[in-house]
Amino acid sequence: MGKKASETAGKAITCKAAICRKPGEDLVIEEIEVAPPQAWEVRIKIICTSLCHTDVTFWKMDFGPAGSFPKILGHEAVGIVESVGEHVEEVKEGDLVVPVFLPSCNECRDCTSSKSNICTKLGSKFYLGMPRDGTSRFRDLKGEVLHHFLFVSSFVEYTVVDIAHVVSLNHHVPPDKACLLSCGVSTGIGAAWKVAEVEEGSTVAIFGLGAVGLAVAEGARLCGASKIIGVDLNPDKFEIGKKFGVTHFINPIACGEKTVSQVVKEITDGGADYCFECIGLASLMKDAFSCSREGWGKTVILGVEKHGSELNINCYEILRGRSVVGSMFGGLKPKSDIPILLKKYLDKELRLDDFITHEVNFQDINKAFEFMAQGKSIRCIIWMDK
Amino acid sequence: MAGESKTRGKPIRCKAAVSREPGEPLVMEEVMVAPPMAGEVRIRIICTSLCHSDITFWKLKEPPACFPRILGHEAVGVVESVGENVTEVEEGDYVLPIFVPDCGECTDCRSEKSNLCSAFPFGIYPWMPRDKTSRFTDRNGEVLHHFLQVSSFIEYTVVDITNLLKINPNIPPSKACLFSCGISTGVGSAWRTASVEKGSSVVIFGLGAIGLAVAEGAKMCGASRIIGVDTNPDKFELAKKFGVSEFVNPKDLGDKPVSQVIIEMTDGGADYCFECVGFASLVQAAFASCRKGWGKTIMVGVDKPGATLEFDSFDMLQLGKTVMGSLYGGLKPKSHIPILLQRFLDKELNVDHFVTHEMKFDDINKAFDLLIQGKSLRCVMWMDK
Repeated sequence: MGKKASETAGKAITCKAAICRKPGEDLVIEEIEVAPPQAWEVRIKIICTSLCHTDVTFWKMDFGPAGSFPKILGHEAVGIVESVGEHVEEVKEGDLVVPVFLPSCNECRDCTSSKSNICTKLGSKFYLGMPRDGTSRFRDLKGEVLHHFLFVSSFVEYTVVDIAHVVSLNHHVPPDKACLLSCGVSTGIGAAWKVAEVEEGSTVAIFGLGAVGLAVAEGARLCGASKIIGVDLNPDKFEIGKKFGVTHFINPIACGEKTVSQVVKEITDGGADYCFECIGLASLMKDAFSCSREGWGKTVILGVEKHGSELNINCYEILRGRSVVGSMFGGLKPKSDIPILLKKYLDKELRLDDFITHEVNFQDINKAFEFMAQGKSIRCIIWMDK
Repeated sequence: MAGESKTRGKPIRCKAAVSREPGEPLVMEEVMVAPPMAGEVRIRIICTSLCHSDITFWKLKEPPACFPRILGHEAVGVVESVGENVTEVEEGDYVLPIFVPDCGECTDCRSEKSNLCSAFPFGIYPWMPRDKTSRFTDRNGEVLHHFLQVSSFIEYTVVDITNLLKINPNIPPSKACLFSCGISTGVGSAWRTASVEKGSSVVIFGLGAIGLAVAEGAKMCGASRIIGVDTNPDKFELAKKFGVSEFVNPKDLGDKPVSQVIIEMTDGGADYCFECVGFASLVQAAFASCRKGWGKTIMVGVDKPGATLEFDSFDMLQLGKTVMGSLYGGLKPKSHIPILLQRFLDKELNVDHFVTHEMKFDDINKAFDLLIQGKSLRCVMWMDK
């Protein structure tokens, strides 16, 4: 049981964090100090958090501005508001909230438009700290600064998040399902629903059946897609994929002399209406594009290419009525759309339960990394003290 | 037309401007044009205009360029005779040949979303679509290749019915032929491919006929701001007549990239950016110039076969922009061209300023020079009457 909110408001909190001190090495659970929220900030007591592949990418990254250590990873989570800083009116102590890496200031042209979810005011600077001033709210017991991650940092019992990165939940929801909607699952569902706008009867091809790809399948299923083709090197994903609506499975190394694109074109009689890249490899983005139908085929890029590789698209192929679009968080506007998805879950339209394949306690957080590395998990929920 | 019935069913001997060697002036020759076979129509061309795509395939030395060939694909004419099974048009009809086929029956033709007929797939072929043979032979009996299913640099051509549209005879020929390719492509790109919304900001890279047609299309859709980008400052005065209100000349910017200037001018980037030259590198500049969140980059110009676009994968992911392309502005010839022609007659769409030169068919090589030198938009060439 955590400390009572009224006792800790305005003061630093000493609590446990899983710190990434060196790239690729086990996280170390240590006591740290979490400063109180400043203006526009919210301090949140994390209930549970989950591991997303993007955490793993930056856990290993040892170069560039993102390669700074020590840091507190984690960006998919759900929690309770412990205290708020000045000017915060959207949430109050005790509220159930989901922190998200994607900001909404609610004032800029993008935030007020239904067509964009890329806030102009916040989100592009200060990757290692709080979005408005770049400083950190975390210090270890020696006083050393611990860097933030993606404006969330959820591998800790208490975190501080800017209000622009906080989504208030009105409904009584199981926290582990809310946590899923913090990043990967929302990204996939949004990509099918909002970015592609998959129509009933459409054909869909999904490259990469991790949580994001499976969420695309679930989103496409909800939209009434007639064929959902999953492409993955891991044959175990086929059985798993069926639960999420995948109707056809292609393993690129088991196609014989045919290319994946040829197989997709055979299944869909010319190419898929919508193709999704959910891994983050430029070569796969190109393959996904080649699988799209001429005339109207749309390719959606969701994967994060970390090598700086360029996406190559053949001019004649795009001239023949194709389009390519990329999106963050599946084009969703977190503050309005996460509650909508949660409601669809509560109304039993949207299926989320099967995404959770493993659960561990906070002290065993490194097991979550192992499960993901072995390709055994979709989402592993990490529970703080119950 | 009493004259036509004399030639029905027989080969016609007539004049053609034949492209024999890549990049060499066309040669005026007497050629033989076979009668139309099943599904085909033989047309007497009234006038034809030169489009940059003709130049691209005139210069190109490797496939799908081929020689000797009868180029030309923007034209208007009158039906001289029809082949078996053709009921859509009859002798004497005023018709527009269109290089994009429209069979009206396949999945794509029946879909609102596509203009790429799958029954008669578009491609740069040297022959007629149904039997893959040519209707043209020269004096020595040597086959002359077709171009884009039209081949209009000739007094009589043969076209498949899927490439032909009967049009309102009230439209003057020098305006009608423009709708056969360039103007429709530009207008359609704004209207159908991009679906430019009222009040949007639009940037057009390349102020040739296609770019100016995009401007007309954007104007028709109610765009509030149309910015033109071109390295030739002579184009700016003319472009004003087409609705372009602001200009950027990349050569005047020093080291500053065009995209940076456009982002400054539009406070973040334009809603729609059109590439109307045919350079993959410009599509990338267009991508960089459009606004994050909802910006659309439209590739209208045709680059060389095999050309590729290159994008930074992370930019593609995190900026939420769309890149799209279309043939013929996404227009379905038989459904949309009549709409555009009506808007022309109703004076909602202005195409008068596109015709900058008119000449006789015999002077066709001058038309090539003018376009290559950037001195013309559309040069209309009239057949002898």
